[in-house]
Amino acid sequence: MTSPATLTATAPARPARAPGSVLALVVLGTGCLLPFAGASPLLLSLLVQAIIGAMLATGVGFLVRQNGMVSFGHALFFGLGGYVLGVPMAHGLLPPEMAVLLALLVPALLAFLLGLVITRIPGVAFSMLSLACAQTFYEVVLKVRTLANGDDGMSVTFPARLFGLDVGLLQDPRSMYLICWVLLAAVLVGLWLFTRSPYGLLTLAIRSNEERARFIGYETVVPRAAVYALSAGVAGLAGVLATFYNGFISPDMMHWTLSGSALVMAVIGGTRAVWGPALGAVVFFFFKEIVGDATEHWPAVIGITLIVVTLCAPAGLSGLLARLFARRAA
Amino acid sequence: MIIHILNGFVYGGLLYLVAIGLVLIFGIRQVVNFAHGSLFMLGAYVGYAATAIAGFWAGVVAATLVLAILGLLLDRAVFRPLQDQDPIVTLLVTFGLLLVIEDLVRTVWGKDTLTIAMPDLLSGTLRIAGEDFPVYRLFVILVAAGMGAGLTLWLKRSRIGLYVRAFASDPLTTGTQGVDTERVSAAVVALGAGFAGLAGIIAGPLLALSPAMGGSILIESFIVVVVGGFGSFSGAFVAALVIGQLQNLGIVFIPSFSTMIPFLLMMLILLWRPLGLTGRAA
Amino acid sequence: MTLPAIEGRALSRTYGGFRALDGVDLKVARGEVRGIIGPNGAGKSTLMDVLTGRAASRGGTVLLGGRDISALAPRARQRAGLARSFQKTNVFLDLTVGEQIRLAGRCATLDNGEEVLVALGLAEIAHRPAADISYGDRRRLDLALALVGRPQVLLLDEPAAGLTVEESLAMADLLKDLARRWHVTVLLVEHDMEVVFGICDRITVLHLGRLLAEGTPAEIRSDPRVISAYLGTAA
Repeated sequence: MTSPATLTATAPARPARAPGSVLALVVLGTGCLLPFAGASPLLLSLLVQAIIGAMLATGVGFLVRQNGMVSFGHALFFGLGGYVLGVPMAHGLLPPEMAVLLALLVPALLAFLLGLVITRIPGVAFSMLSLACAQTFYEVVLKVRTLANGDDGMSVTFPARLFGLDVGLLQDPRSMYLICWVLLAAVLVGLWLFTRSPYGLLTLAIRSNEERARFIGYETVVPRAAVYALSAGVAGLAGVLATFYNGFISPDMMHWTLSGSALVMAVIGGTRAVWGPALGAVVFFFFKEIVGDATEHWPAVIGITLIVVTLCAPAGLSGLLARLFARRAA
Repeated sequence: MIIHILNGFVYGGLLYLVAIGLVLIFGIRQVVNFAHGSLFMLGAYVGYAATAIAGFWAGVVAATLVLAILGLLLDRAVFRPLQDQDPIVTLLVTFGLLLVIEDLVRTVWGKDTLTIAMPDLLSGTLRIAGEDFPVYRLFVILVAAGMGAGLTLWLKRSRIGLYVRAFASDPLTTGTQGVDTERVSAAVVALGAGFAGLAGIIAGPLLALSPAMGGSILIESFIVVVVGGFGSFSGAFVAALVIGQLQNLGIVFIPSFSTMIPFLLMMLILLWRPLGLTGRAA
Repeated sequence: MTLPAIEGRALSRTYGGFRALDGVDLKVARGEVRGIIGPNGAGKSTLMDVLTGRAASRGGTVLLGGRDISALAPRARQRAGLARSFQKTNVFLDLTVGEQIRLAGRCATLDNGEEVLVALGLAEIAHRPAADISYGDRRRLDLALALVGRPQVLLLDEPAAGLTVEESLAMADLLKDLARRWHVTVLLVEHDMEVVFGICDRITVLHLGRLLAEGTPAEIRSDPRVISAYLGTAA
């Protein structure tokens, strides 16, 4: 039995070999076919939300995998993506295309700057700080009513076309499902390539032994901040997609319940594989559907799930699957 | 101006009572209790219930005692079994507890805000520097100051206090000195939780009670602990007072961004000294 | 006369009132293997830390090949040609042996690191995570991480600690061989006197944070101050 400490302490799984990529292609292809195979708009709409959640969880999990840091505040970047997109759009502050680009960049940029300060702080304290950062911004969007109606949130209307593309595509469940699905796949492949790059190796080395990394001649703060920025950028992209699809922003997008859910998804899926948190998110969403009636007590359900999974299956689903395959191969 | 400063002390005192519990628990168990804000909130609600039955003073006693007992349970059921695990595990578990406790309170008392009436004895005002200042607020300052003084004396003078301080600064070598570690830890966690409960009930007449009320005080306590230097008792005291003042002035002058001020202060201090003011590795 | 490979002038360090290192001067010639010995608390590890920038010296100067590196951070000193290994093995447990050598050597392929891996007998286990290899292998991996950057000066903090007698002797042979083959200047802190007297050109003796004696192994062995302060009790 693996101990819960493996959550942050053990080596990530070795990169998958050829059968892994074949499997990945099959999953990707099957996913693309879904809208044409008679899936109902309701199911597709649900899947859009699940994929957006998966993207957020992927950001959180990637930070654990690559930096060894557990963020309790990734909703900040999710919400920021939404607010940087929605607020200028509603108040007509910026050309809409500009708002889209900024919404994709600002979360990563803010995370990089924050990261230069807070990723130097070890383990548990980093978690406190990530939560403190997120709640601080949450309070601001909650209290500054002129920004986006504070607590009530604000609906966002988009121009009919952005970058020459029909925005309606981002609001129709079928097309949005395909867009999200492909984007999620692209994010996962991108992050996986990062983990295989020399820079990715360096970040793993820093995670493993920061002092030694300095003594073999590497600067260690910027790589940590860069990983934080990358993971925040993924969360921000999820927030942008959610805002397009829902046409609505509210402080809930930055609330710690969302950070907590993202963490639960990442923990359920396991963070040693890049795709683990995404798998966890999908399972989590189906779980949410089953719980259904109890959604009034949703925070408690998240809380209990977090406790149970942390204590009973710290390596998560991807860890269980990896062990299963390892046993069969042996 | 004096009134503003006194109000800053009111908030700083509450902050100190909550943050010092975090520091105590961090010192003895080397973990951060993410559910600490919920203990504050629970203290207010338990106090509310007891006040309704037997008056404000019974509420104060009940909130403190019930939360101290919950602290014992928390140490027994969470911190102790998980002490050999990665501290992140305890973090995840207490974060889960935070979500559960909030939901539990929402279920029992509803999500609408509640208020606790001030005791008649303390409901008057006092004239200070030409302005009226509520006696109750002075009472809050006095309670926080009294608890702080008592705790400091206890830490300095008593055998257990000495042990707690030694353990907080060097857990490895202090572990084996003929003191029953488990009992001391349980007592210290109970004390920390009791402080949170006390802070919750005495804050009750000043704040509106809501299940989410633990959130902002938890975050600001984190900032106090970080700024004060992880696990430092005196650092937490200074940081709580400073942040209490800043926060209060922020509420007076730039209400919407008042939470930004402690946050920015924390970032500046971390840039300057990555391990906080008293600078000891966590 | 050529510049010393590494030189320390008036190096001092206090830890809460305790003078761990008290005005130590040190000059090591290019290509020399220098041993640093002394009883526990003599300041050997502190000297290492001050030279590599892990701890700051209070006053004093560190010169590498004549260049003042006192103000540089550890990683910049490493890039300037000063590498070290650690007393407690300090490797990347999560990475494979080959991966971390590649990283330390800053090369995209294993080719450049290959030589070091072969020289240290690690080539066969290059694909294994460091968490899975034996203690002796980890000690040599620690050494390999320091060596693969082609340093001018190599500081080794008790490379034989925790090894068996045979392993220590093999390590000594290896160090001698490496120093000669790659023309590295070596500073060696070591408790195993057999290793120190066997491979060092000169030896520096520290005592209570100060320089007690310096000379060839033969001079040190017969120095009465050294015998009374250290060797006499240890032997």
